[in-house]
Parts: sequence; structure tokens; C-alpha cells
Amino acid sequence: MSGRFFTRARALGLFVASTALVASSVNACNVPATDGRVVETAPDRATFAPVSALLERRCGSLDCHGQASRNLRLYGNEGLRLAQEGDASRPSSTVNTTDAEVTENYLSVVGLEPELMSQVVREGASNPLRLTLMRKPLGIENHKGGTLFQAGDSQVVCVTSWLAGHTDAVTCGQ
Amino acid sequence: MRTLLFIAACLAATLASLSCDPVHDSAVDALGAEAPGVSKGPKHRPGQPCITCHDGSLGSPQHFSVAGTIFLNQEDLTPANGATVTLISADNNTAQAVTNSAGNFYVTPQQFTPAYPMKVTVDYTGRVRAKMTSHVGRDGSCADCHTDPAGPTSAGHVFVPVDGVTP
Repeated sequence: MSGRFFTRARALGLFVASTALVASSVNACNVPATDGRVVETAPDRATFAPVSALLERRCGSLDCHGQASRNLRLYGNEGLRLAQEGDASRPSSTVNTTDAEVTENYLSVVGLEPELMSQVVREGASNPLRLTLMRKPLGIENHKGGTLFQAGDSQVVCVTSWLAGHTDAVTCGQ
Repeated sequence: MRTLLFIAACLAATLASLSCDPVHDSAVDALGAEAPGVSKGPKHRPGQPCITCHDGSLGSPQHFSVAGTIFLNQEDLTPANGATVTLISADNNTAQAVTNSAGNFYVTPQQFTPAYPMKVTVDYTGRVRAKMTSHVGRDGSCADCHTDPAGPTSAGHVFVPVDGVTP
């Protein structure tokens, strides 16, 4: 009696183990791409520099998004610097924001909500409020840094124009 | 009996609120002990982030809205005594505070609660004016960002540019 019970228990255990093995091997085939990025329709990096300058100025101070530990990490001349071996980059130094820092800011922005960012870009930025990037500074969503943008102001126009694929560099610089 | 229960509940809530934030507790602990020979008061802990402790939480010392230390130069920690710190709030309200012999200044919320972003200038001896290049985004403690040594994450301690260098 007890021998039959153990045989059944062993069979059940083997079944569970083999099922788990099959399931895990199927899962292993569905891992994300090795570069870890899922942006399908990213906005343009080439025209991001004026947007980066705006975000650096408004959002990138050292006590806000110019902190290495914070989401949407931003680098720039007046805040966090991208450390390079032996260079003299300091916050507010004479070393201007570098192209590498602009690229890091771009990756922070497009990596924040990549799927939604893709959707907004595909829609021609007709609904940029899908993005936390817009809702928080507009005060629509709670933001520890407070309300920094007003609907329709130059900052909103700047970011939205970039999302729509035609960066308004003049407005970004206002 | 009901009153006793109420008092016990209040006492429990008070005790819980005094030690319910281990992050805050560890930040306070990280500041270390008082310097030898300097007692608690307006001249203690120059260069440290004041509002870590002066944050208005239950049991904290006097609440500050903005506070920090101004030094005389970039190279060492000689205090700038008598520097005037002007704080300009985003809503255009302003406040001024003068540093003491330790270089420390502070402003209480009753005197001034800034709307961020806030601009800061420092005047020293009537002949040197330093304007902070960036704004302050949300943190009233200068030393939360102005840490030493200067590097990619900090411009270093705040100093008046007596040698022509911008702080």
C-alpha cells in the first residue's frame, strides 16, 4: 500500500518537475532583446539638443533630476555631469553640456515610458499628455518639484514639437 | 476607561511618529557627532545639510525653510562672516539672512517659505556679489547639493568669489 503511494507520489513529482522545465524553457525563448530597449518609434535624437537644454535648465538642478539616483536623470552644465576619466566637468563649470550628456538625457527621456512614447510619436504628438514627462511638470500628476509648465507655454510647445518631429528650437530657447 | 484608551492611542501614535522613518534616522546618524567644543546652536555643524534635522518633524529642532553655510574661498573652510544671502522665490517674494561667525545662515518658514525654483545671490563686504548659476529646485539645504569635494555631482561648498571665481 505504502509502496504504491510512494510510486504515485514520485510520478506526480516527475510530472510537476518536467512541466516546470518545459514552461521555463518556453519562457526562456521570450526574453527581451539583449539591448534592453523597447522603443519602437523613438523621437529624433538629432533635433533633441534644444529640448535637452530646456530640460537641463528647468528640471536638471542637482536637487531635482540632476541626481544620479532619480528617475529621468538629466546631465548638463548647471547640474550633474557625466564623469569622464580625468576631465574637469563640474556643475556650473566652463565646460558646456557635452554631446554625450545630451545623448544620456535623450535616453532618459525616451526610456521613461517607451511604449507610450512610441504611441505619442506615431500619433504625431496629438496627445502628449499620455506621457508622465508632460503630466508631472504641468501639475496634472503629483510632482514633488511642483508645477513648472503651463498649458500652451513655450516649454510645452518645445517638447511637443520635438515629439511631433519638428523641433521648434527658437521656442525651446525662450 | 475610554479616555485612558484614547490617551494610550495618542501616546502610541506619538511614539511611532518619532521613530518611523529609518531613512531619515540614518541620514541624521550619517552627520556624525557635534564638533568638539561646539555646542548645539546657530554656529554648529557648518557645511552640513541643516534641514536634515531642522525639518519641522515632531521632536526636531527649530524648523528652517532655507539654511546653509557660506565660506570665504574654494580651497578651505574659512567661514564668510557677515555675508548677506538673498533668496528670491519663484513668486518674486524675497528674504535676506546674514551669516554668523561660523558662516551659517537660516530662515524659518514663518519668515519665508519659498516657491520653487528659487534664485540665490550672496553679497559680501559690499564689494563682492555672487549669483548662483542655476536655480534651487526644491531643497532648502545648501549642503545637500554643495558637498565636498567638488566633482561631477557637486560644485563643492558655497563660497564668495573673493578671487573672482564664481561659486
